[in-house]
Amino acid sequence: MQLTQSQPKSFQVNTTSVTMLNNERWLVGLHILSAFFALFWGALMGPFQTFHRSPAFVAAFPNATMPIFSYYYQALTAHGVLNALFFTTMFITGISYYVTWRSFDRPLVGMPLAWVAYALELIGLVILFFVLLNDPQRSAVLFTFYPPLIAPPLFYIGLVLLVVGSWLGLLVVFLTYGAWRKENKAARIPLAPFAVMANYVMYFLASLGVAVEVLVLALPASLGLIQNTDPQLSRALFWFFGHPVVYFWLIPAYVSWYTMLPMQAGAKRVFSEPLAKIAFLMLMIFSVPTGLHHMFADPGISSTWKAIHTVFTLMVAVPSFMTAFNIGATLEIAGRNRGGKGLFGWMFTQKWSDPVVAAQLMGMLQFITGGITGLINASAQINTVVHNTSWVPAHFHQTVGGAVAMTYIGIMYWLLPMIRGRALYSKKMALAQVYTWGFGMTMFGHTLGEAGLAGVPRRTLSGLSPYLSEAATYWLNANAISGVILLVSLILLYANIVLTLFASKEPVTEGGYTVTKGDPTTPAILERWGLWIGVAVVLAALVWTVPFIDSINLTEGFQILRYSPAGPVPLK
Amino acid sequence: MALDKYERVWLTAVGGLIGSFMAALMVAYLIFDIRLPTFEARVDPANLNSTMFADLGVKKRGENKYDVVMLAKMWVFDAGKDGGNPGVPPVIRVPRGSRVTFYVTSLDVTHGVYVEDHSINLEIVPGQIARQSIPFNRPGEFRIICNQYCGAAHQGMYGTIVVE
Ligand code: HEM
Ligand SMILES: [Cu+2]
Ligand SMILES: [Cu+2]
Repeated sequence: MQLTQSQPKSFQVNTTSVTMLNNERWLVGLHILSAFFALFWGALMGPFQTFHRSPAFVAAFPNATMPIFSYYYQALTAHGVLNALFFTTMFITGISYYVTWRSFDRPLVGMPLAWVAYALELIGLVILFFVLLNDPQRSAVLFTFYPPLIAPPLFYIGLVLLVVGSWLGLLVVFLTYGAWRKENKAARIPLAPFAVMANYVMYFLASLGVAVEVLVLALPASLGLIQNTDPQLSRALFWFFGHPVVYFWLIPAYVSWYTMLPMQAGAKRVFSEPLAKIAFLMLMIFSVPTGLHHMFADPGISSTWKAIHTVFTLMVAVPSFMTAFNIGATLEIAGRNRGGKGLFGWMFTQKWSDPVVAAQLMGMLQFITGGITGLINASAQINTVVHNTSWVPAHFHQTVGGAVAMTYIGIMYWLLPMIRGRALYSKKMALAQVYTWGFGMTMFGHTLGEAGLAGVPRRTLSGLSPYLSEAATYWLNANAISGVILLVSLILLYANIVLTLFASKEPVTEGGYTVTKGDPTTPAILERWGLWIGVAVVLAALVWTVPFIDSINLTEGFQILRYSPAGPVPLK
Repeated sequence: MALDKYERVWLTAVGGLIGSFMAALMVAYLIFDIRLPTFEARVDPANLNSTMFADLGVKKRGENKYDVVMLAKMWVFDAGKDGGNPGVPPVIRVPRGSRVTFYVTSLDVTHGVYVEDHSINLEIVPGQIARQSIPFNRPGEFRIICNQYCGAAHQGMYGTIVVE
């Protein structure tokens, strides 16, 4: 198959290797470093979770505890909160600033706001550390904090600060876009900030759900202002946010694949830019009307609405299939430029020994299994077999733990040297990290997925469970071995970060790539934000209003009291 | 904005794939009648005595038809006298070939009900009655597992259904 790029010949690509300005370096750098700080403590729990979930480990070391967050469910709460909420959000805020600044080729509008956003996110992070360490029993409500489990108030306050911080980051991006638009009336938006903006629109809409849940239901209950909870409504509000947020994490990885990887891998630019913009708009519109697929097993939601959300869930897979083609085609062009011949030769001529490229390619390979298992989960009736089993974490460690984390790590491998002004300490170490992570996560997914099919529940200290079958025990023990491999990978990752910051002597060679022009053949209608935001809001309202109304319980006058994870006595 | 030839082929294939997924789900739903749990009824956890949960256990409802009325609480399933001693994981029995409808609610926090090797998987949300109906055709002992995090001793919350 021979591919040709569809852009007109006259189109000039402006590809620059940039050196960073000082204030930009600090702003972006502190976000990225704080994100990786959160990931360190969060991800460190991961391997120990696999150990404590393994009956063989628990039999051999009956007195072992988790490191730092010593109690299993406290550690699991930290793992979810630090990895999935703080690492992702802080990284995304930082990389969105970078992309906006560089692609619009102008300074950010609202630098003070950007710093306030950072401060809020950081304070949120510190608060979460504090509450998790200080009150392990009560704060172990996991990152989904489903009422009637109620954590101490600081738990919610920390999360509110994170979300408000991310909203301010969004505001800075849109203010900067407004200024750029004034200066470039007729131009098309460069692809990277286009995707960042679509991502933020979708995220803002989605976060309204969790904001209402926390501010109206959970935080007042935690403060003791109200005595009752509404579990079903809380779950609906949470998943209004909870599904789109996984796309919020994914889109920045797509930004890297679409707008940075082509040049890093040896192609001039992405195969088709207009199609990429359509894909991002589809993600923006179809991410929110899907959340009920997390509630297929819920009692208080009608199965008709579950079916409607299933349709949109399958629709939102389409932009990912489009991405697979677009990026595949781009990589084929890159591979052929580098001498790849024949039908498959281009796969072997990729830069498998460049950590920045290799991390993203490994992430994509994992996204294949992540995507396929996702389609399985989305198939409403089949979901009954896997719901709340360890199959589910097996799935999302291929997506968020594989594709997203690997791509963020790949970005860090060029961005951190630029921020520090020194070369990456060791490329070899980085490569070893990439391949141990890729192999470890794949094995993790396979073993934990099999355990799930053998009946092992998720979010469970299964090393102590009295009900495991032989097959379940076998797969959980195998899963702990993948945990060892991932622990090695984590050590390699953080040794390299610390050494790059403090011991690297070589001048920086890494550079970021930015395209500062949008493809002029993009149809203008794709950039009419008002129209697409309107479509997204109307669609969200159409498919969520009835499930929300159906879930409300508070009005029944029920007494659904508040509990701590520590025991069956209601909170006072 | 011109589409590449291969791109058009790919998009058509994707459309076909997603379309056939939707068709398969519709067939399973409309023709094979495999339904997800749906809205059943609400119940006040503070007032279970005036509801069906005042009388827990295995109820025979007809030829090969049974209801299992169960209460989930931190950290045991309660199936009444039919489950054995209170406070320990219950063991309930049904004859092989029977169709069993589970009715479960929670006294305190969110729990889950999952039965090994069988297509039943429910979130037990306080304030709601979860219902699902499945056939038990193979003899054997199957674990009923709480698969939603319900606090400190969640890992030990289970029961057993014996198909005789
Ligand atoms: C370093 C490698 C990692 C290992 C070994 C690991 C291991 C695990 C395990 C065993 C669980 C399931 C625990 C249970 O259900 O009882 C889990 C849950 C989870 N992990 Fe990871 N993980 C790793 C990295 C990550 C990363 C990078 C992310 C996201 C950025 C992540 C996000 C999550 C989330 C959101 C959960 C669900 C928590 C919950 O159910 O409340 N993990 N992880
Ligand atoms: Cu989802
Ligand atoms: Cu439980």
